[in-house]
Amino acid sequence: MITEFYTFFEKSPFKSFLGLNTTMDFSLVHQNCFKMFLPEIFLATSILTLTLYSVFIGSSRNLGYPLIIKNLNKLCILTLFITFLIINNSSVFSLLAYQNTFVFDLLSSNVKQILVVATILSLVISEDSVVRQQINNFEYLILILCAVLGLMFLVSSYDTLSLYLAIEMQSLCLYVLAASKKDSSLSTEAGLKYFILGSFSSALLLFGISLLYGITGTTNFDNFHLLFSGIGFDNFSFAPLIEKALLAISAAFFFKIAAAPFHMWSPDVYEASPTSSTVFFAIVPKIALFTAFLRIFQIFLSGFEEIFVIVLIFFSLCSVIVGSFVALRQKRLKRLLAYSSISHVGYLLLAFSSNSLEGVQSLYFYLIIYMLTSLCLWSIVLSLNTKANLTKNKTLLDLGSISHSNASLGFTTLVAFFSLMGVPPLAGFFAKIEVFLSALGSSLYFPALIAILSSVVSSFYYVRLIKTMYFEKKEEETSCIPVNHSCSLIMSLCLFFLIYFFVNPNFFLLLTQKMALCLF
Amino acid sequence: MDYFSILLLLFVSIGLACLILGASYFLGVQLPDTEKSSVYECGFDPYEDSRNKFDVRFYLIAILFIIFDLEVLFLFPWSVSLSYLSSMGFWTMMDFLFELTVGFVYVWKIGALEWE
Repeated sequence: MITEFYTFFEKSPFKSFLGLNTTMDFSLVHQNCFKMFLPEIFLATSILTLTLYSVFIGSSRNLGYPLIIKNLNKLCILTLFITFLIINNSSVFSLLAYQNTFVFDLLSSNVKQILVVATILSLVISEDSVVRQQINNFEYLILILCAVLGLMFLVSSYDTLSLYLAIEMQSLCLYVLAASKKDSSLSTEAGLKYFILGSFSSALLLFGISLLYGITGTTNFDNFHLLFSGIGFDNFSFAPLIEKALLAISAAFFFKIAAAPFHMWSPDVYEASPTSSTVFFAIVPKIALFTAFLRIFQIFLSGFEEIFVIVLIFFSLCSVIVGSFVALRQKRLKRLLAYSSISHVGYLLLAFSSNSLEGVQSLYFYLIIYMLTSLCLWSIVLSLNTKANLTKNKTLLDLGSISHSNASLGFTTLVAFFSLMGVPPLAGFFAKIEVFLSALGSSLYFPALIAILSSVVSSFYYVRLIKTMYFEKKEEETSCIPVNHSCSLIMSLCLFFLIYFFVNPNFFLLLTQKMALCLF
Repeated sequence: MDYFSILLLLFVSIGLACLILGASYFLGVQLPDTEKSSVYECGFDPYEDSRNKFDVRFYLIAILFIIFDLEVLFLFPWSVSLSYLSSMGFWTMMDFLFELTVGFVYVWKIGALEWE
């Protein structure tokens, strides 16, 4: 169909009218690029259409200024579902498109599928919460779609410029999402904090990119690959400068994924932004950021292995230790989960630092299992509602005696926490053991030991939560508001995956194996 | 010698500016009052405390102005180099203008351009 369109254009009167006398057959050159970009093009067009739809309906006086947020939520889910189908439908082969600024391969299409599915699920579980928190601006959902579009560009970016632009696109959307509850001072503060620290890290990223450009004269990953493969860096006089550029880029990356000691923004932003936005922050962006930076680091890792592995291990151990020890003192549920996500980023970086195929595979494996578990946990956080605490931030006490008031919710929470802890028959155990085995395989004995010991510390606060749920009696028995259907459906699906994984782990193992192979 | 025309332009413009200003100064009728001789500063008194609250709508208008002004700025190089571009270049700009129009319609319908 695309070809037909362009042959139509080639014959159309526009061409003679504009005096276009190109000899190149444009239709052949860009045909594949357009085909590969179809999901993004569809999503972008739908964003424009949905904006127009909601602004015309929402500000229509004849209809009485209706609230369209629930309606729009369904439409967004539909849009993302069709995007998922289009990604599924595209025949995957490795292709560099648009002057090598974008890459399309199995890795990018798989990560895009995971991103879209995770967004759909987080939209489904946070639907009630959006209505309950009275976020009536339809822009909220449009911005989520824009963030997904930015993340999809990020996943397939193959040039530092497109990488930077995609990161900016997604993070600008996330800043506004954090501040989307305009009448709450906490939410605006979270948005401002996120904005200032995020733009600082973007500046670092840009600094590193400009240094790299200054040294090599190119911004393209393909050219970097050609420049840096197979030469000895000891004879290269610019090697120290390249190291500094890479340090700046990795610092920006650690900011974005909230690895300690660059983690300070994440608990504040997680706690103060509306819970529905926090769900999106916590589940979706990490896998895209990891993919983009794996692409860039994979080029340089061969040449700068010693310094890079040390940096990665430092950040990984910092995150694991900070995440485990600081979480012991947290009283609010969202802060606790933020610190727990910092410690999990530490395990991911440990897998990354082992610098092998198994390492990258275990990273993706851990990431997918972690996304499933946190999806389960956040839907639990969203459904811990009693009449008294409906609009408040949840504390750990809200989990108290949940096993009595809602036994199945209690059991789901128990399984999710055990899986995060890494207790054997559950999926989290396999994820952790893959990470530790890949670290041991690259003879990182000491870092693996520290990470295992910190994971013991972190299991203390998970167990304490389980004790609160099962063995502590609340003074006054409060009845829970029943969990809504979509939330309970997704919780039970996640629960099924976490348990069923023991029986048949092949699907995720094969998927992550294929994804990791694309990088080597 | 190449820049002689620019020098000429400089002298002519300075001379023309002096001529116009001088003519209006000497020939015009001048009846100053307080309103006329006060500083014009878009609705604000220029000599007051700088820590005043002022309306967020000024920011909104300024931001909208910057967005549309800068986006229209891309049109100039495009229109100059249009004859060198392929159909890709043409349709890229059409797409850009379409998205700009969607943004404009959004701003209009949401009521950001209305002062009251």
